[in-house]
Amino acid sequence: MTTRELLTFQFGHYANYIGAHFWNLQELSFDYTGTVKTEINHDILYREGQTAKGEVTYTPRLLIADLKGSLKTLPETGGLPYEENENEFQWNGVEKIEEPTPPKNEFLLDIDTDGPSVAKQYNFEQDVKTWTDYLYPRLHPRSVNIVRDYVHDDNTECFDILHKGKALWKQDFGEAFTDNIRKYVEECDSMQGFQVNFDCTDGFAGLALSCVEYLADEYTKSILAYPIIPSYFPDNNPTTQEDRDKSNMKDSIRMVNTALSIQELSEYATLFVPLSTGDKGWRKPGSPRKFDYLNYNPELYYHSSALLASAMDTLSQKYRHKSNIYTMSDICADLTGYGRKMAAASLGMPLPINEREYLIDFLNNTTKPIYTCITPSCKIATDKIFQLITVRGVPENYLKAPMKEAKEQMNIPAYRCTSVKEMFELYFQANNFLSATNVTVCDKPLEVKTPFPKFFGSELNKYGFVGSEGDSVKVESCPVVAGYHNGNFLSDMIEKLHREVSRIKFTKLHKFKQEGFESSEYSDSLDRLAEFKDNYEDDFEL
Amino acid sequence: MAAISLLNPKAELARASQALAVNISAAKGIQDVMRTNLGPKGTMKMLVSGAGDIKITKDGNVLLHEMQIQHPTASLIARASTAQDDATGDGTTSTVLLIGELLKQADIYISEGLHPRILTEGFDVARNKVLEVLESIKIPIEAKREDLLDVTRTALKTKVHPSLAEVLTNACVDAVLTIRTPDKPADLHMVEIMEMQHKTSTETALIKGLVMDHGTRHPDMPKRVENAYILTCNISLEYEKTEVNSGFFYKSAEDREKLISAERDFIDQRVKKIVALKKKLCDGTDKNFVVINQKGIDPLSLDAFAKEGIMGLRRAKRRNMERLALACGGIAMNSVDDLTEECLGFAGLVYEHILGEEKYTFVEQCKNPQSVTILIKGPNKHTLAQIKDAVRDGLRAINNAIEDKCVIPGAGAFEIKANLELLKYKDTVKGKARLGIQAYAEALLVIPKTLAINSGYDAQDTIVKLQEESRLSPDPIGLDLSTGEAIKPTDLGIIDNYVVKKQILNSCSVIASNLLLVDEIMRAGMSSLKG
Ligand SMILES: Nc1ncnc2c1ncn2[C@@H]1O[C@H](COP(=O)(O)OP(=O)(O)OP(=O)(O)O)[C@@H](O)[C@H]1O
Ligand SMILES: [Mg+2]
Repeated sequence: MTTRELLTFQFGHYANYIGAHFWNLQELSFDYTGTVKTEINHDILYREGQTAKGEVTYTPRLLIADLKGSLKTLPETGGLPYEENENEFQWNGVEKIEEPTPPKNEFLLDIDTDGPSVAKQYNFEQDVKTWTDYLYPRLHPRSVNIVRDYVHDDNTECFDILHKGKALWKQDFGEAFTDNIRKYVEECDSMQGFQVNFDCTDGFAGLALSCVEYLADEYTKSILAYPIIPSYFPDNNPTTQEDRDKSNMKDSIRMVNTALSIQELSEYATLFVPLSTGDKGWRKPGSPRKFDYLNYNPELYYHSSALLASAMDTLSQKYRHKSNIYTMSDICADLTGYGRKMAAASLGMPLPINEREYLIDFLNNTTKPIYTCITPSCKIATDKIFQLITVRGVPENYLKAPMKEAKEQMNIPAYRCTSVKEMFELYFQANNFLSATNVTVCDKPLEVKTPFPKFFGSELNKYGFVGSEGDSVKVESCPVVAGYHNGNFLSDMIEKLHREVSRIKFTKLHKFKQEGFESSEYSDSLDRLAEFKDNYEDDFEL
Repeated sequence: MAAISLLNPKAELARASQALAVNISAAKGIQDVMRTNLGPKGTMKMLVSGAGDIKITKDGNVLLHEMQIQHPTASLIARASTAQDDATGDGTTSTVLLIGELLKQADIYISEGLHPRILTEGFDVARNKVLEVLESIKIPIEAKREDLLDVTRTALKTKVHPSLAEVLTNACVDAVLTIRTPDKPADLHMVEIMEMQHKTSTETALIKGLVMDHGTRHPDMPKRVENAYILTCNISLEYEKTEVNSGFFYKSAEDREKLISAERDFIDQRVKKIVALKKKLCDGTDKNFVVINQKGIDPLSLDAFAKEGIMGLRRAKRRNMERLALACGGIAMNSVDDLTEECLGFAGLVYEHILGEEKYTFVEQCKNPQSVTILIKGPNKHTLAQIKDAVRDGLRAINNAIEDKCVIPGAGAFEIKANLELLKYKDTVKGKARLGIQAYAEALLVIPKTLAINSGYDAQDTIVKLQEESRLSPDPIGLDLSTGEAIKPTDLGIIDNYVVKKQILNSCSVIASNLLLVDEIMRAGMSSLKG
């Protein structure tokens, strides 16, 4: 079994919120007993290493960027004992300037001692001020790359313009960062590609795009990018006229960053999938996408990012299995015909099967789509689409009733299906006209252990099926479906973005100009965005 | 620029005098923080973040940037310090001190009712005069080892402990002299700085060749070879599926493996060509073969190399391609098609060194290396970072000296001399502009004063002593920090860069004037501050 390694990137604060959940999901699913059979090859995302003292480490193959002041309790070195702290400076006068140590919340304190307690109720909704406040894994010393030129939550010098990120990349930051990329890649024997998750509304877009361009230039590997729009911005509900004006300006800037991101990704990424839990994404994130049986608060990044992390974990199952049936390049190839490098994503969490119901009945009776779109300003069409679906955690014994008890199930054509996979394939065949669907099924459900948000509705049982157990039950896992979808329906989204962004008077956005981005370049970019849309307009052929 | 426009967020400007007062107090504040840094007896700052990250520095510019300055005036000063650093690599603490002192001196006159404009005019005149003084005390040098050691040592001793400074001085000077071609400025990119988290910093050394931060990836590959041909190349030796196949139609993992083996034939051919060259040149001799590739080498290709005793490294840094060619000769190859002996470089010794999970490969004993490596050692990241900063400073100091073709005496000698000359000159100037010259002359003394204070001597006593001595001596007089007495800095080898001082004088006068004329500048839309 060769391991087809992946290198993951997270650029920006919200991307790191998602990342924290994502890596928690990985690490909390590790089995140290050696008894659990798992389909996942963890070496694809993780690397084994060694400290100077010879202790073995197992850390994400990960590079992240965030602003100074965002890490709070996490040391930049990632928290593992990779270095000796003996100070050998033999200097006479040393003046120590210490920042106050930020207090650790209960969860972090528990990690330091006995490990987080399963029984305990932590108050994450209140305690989480940054993504490190619920991060369970420790990171490799080269993982964290801090931008020092801007401070997190500083309103005077904001990292709000894409080109500020591009400028940074050309300086020491970019050099150190590419060195770190190189070191990871050098370790890999058979790398399959890069996954780049980034906030596409601020300066991090510039860092990420520079990085994607560098990757495309330096390595011939697949690049799957997720440009992400956070679920909420603190200026979203202005009350005074002055605040409204400010918020408007910020919305315009965020939208321009987003449009430029999409345009550039269409040139350098192999495949990209915009994500947001807000239905619009721009000019404001919009109303939260609805998930039956979930009550999440879009103003809490801790909540909304958990949804996107669950989607990413589920979507990536396809190319993280031990069997190596698919690699990232297959996913990309399947979805990006006709130059359609942008795809949409969906998430169904939980897949709302009743605990007393067979899958066949669930699929037969359901009238709504089984997933919710998580790509902004986008409605996934039912016809003429390519889609890659991953279903996890639906046990084979939920498939259908045994012959003896089957009764009217026998009359449903799907009764002849002998596996969950087959049945879903039939379901999509029946529901999506002129479409191609590839279904991957994983045995294991999504395990939602602490510190995953407890935002599940009280109708769910311990295993995330719809049941009647009453509201004192804690959900420990749930069945999930997630998908990539591509088709000409995406031209609508680009159209909307292009239309909205064209209405902005670019000359009023001085900040771009100050970073050396001229309005002629800007209109060029918009033209190319429009050209990109054309890829989605031709008549679809299967 | 953003911070500057915050000088006054609302259009209604604070009254000029208030804005001025704000500027002066901000400059004083930042001066207070930086003051203790100056000179070899200044204090080291150890910055500890909330999560325990450590940063150690004595460098003015590094410190300014770690401090996250919010105040617009302060950030303007910080920018001057950055400009100083970009241009010369040194003198940033002095810059901050001098700007602060110019404002302080100006404050005295302004509070007596003098218009800032008159002062700044005096500053201009004074600056031109001190630049003349600077010309007069230049000491011409050549790009020779003994001429460069003093200026390098002086700079490094202000950043690291003397015993380490000595090590670094030699390493830096030898590095630059090795790679330099006469009559051209040395290309400092050809001095690679490599960090190794290990042992003590005094083991830092110059390697006349290359050290790379990666090693072999095959258990059977040789880890140490002598008399080695070096093939530097940028050729993919890993199987990468070029034609992507649709996952919709895949049947099984076996199908896939079949496809792969068919397609990798292409790569095998490349490997074979390299192996053939090795066989031709090395078999039956004591010669060895090393492949250093910018692209990947996959396990099967590694295996083929290992069987032939070839040492193969993959994913070399892009900029090391050029360095390798300069260190060992040969050319970086982009294809295996026309591989000949002439394309190859040569090194007497290539070996791997493993430290925990880190691997290093040393390429040494190169005949005429035009690229070298300074290998920094230290027990932890922050020590390494500190030494790296120091080495960069050292290299800059050497390059400055070579380009200037001269140096100047340090230890406050220039400031004492310039102060003296300005006071003489002042008497020849008529009108109120004299006051500006007087203020400027006084401000310059902040350097020797601070050097004295940081060594535990009384500022006034010291200045008086130095001024008296200076009046009597034809040579520039500075301060001996270990005795508090006047000395000729050249006798003790305390030597500074000429261009550093020149840049300080130029930028300080401009920034100080801008801050003093804050009122006028705001009205002019601050255009003069852009940049
Ligand atoms: N051995 C010494 N005795 C007396 N003065 C010295 C000695 N070594 C250096 N100096 C003086 O110390 C000053 C330089 O100090 P330092 O390097 O700390 O600050 P800087 O160069 O202004 O700023 P930076 O932090 O950028 O290096 C110069 O004026 C130099 O002449
Ligand atoms: Mg200095």
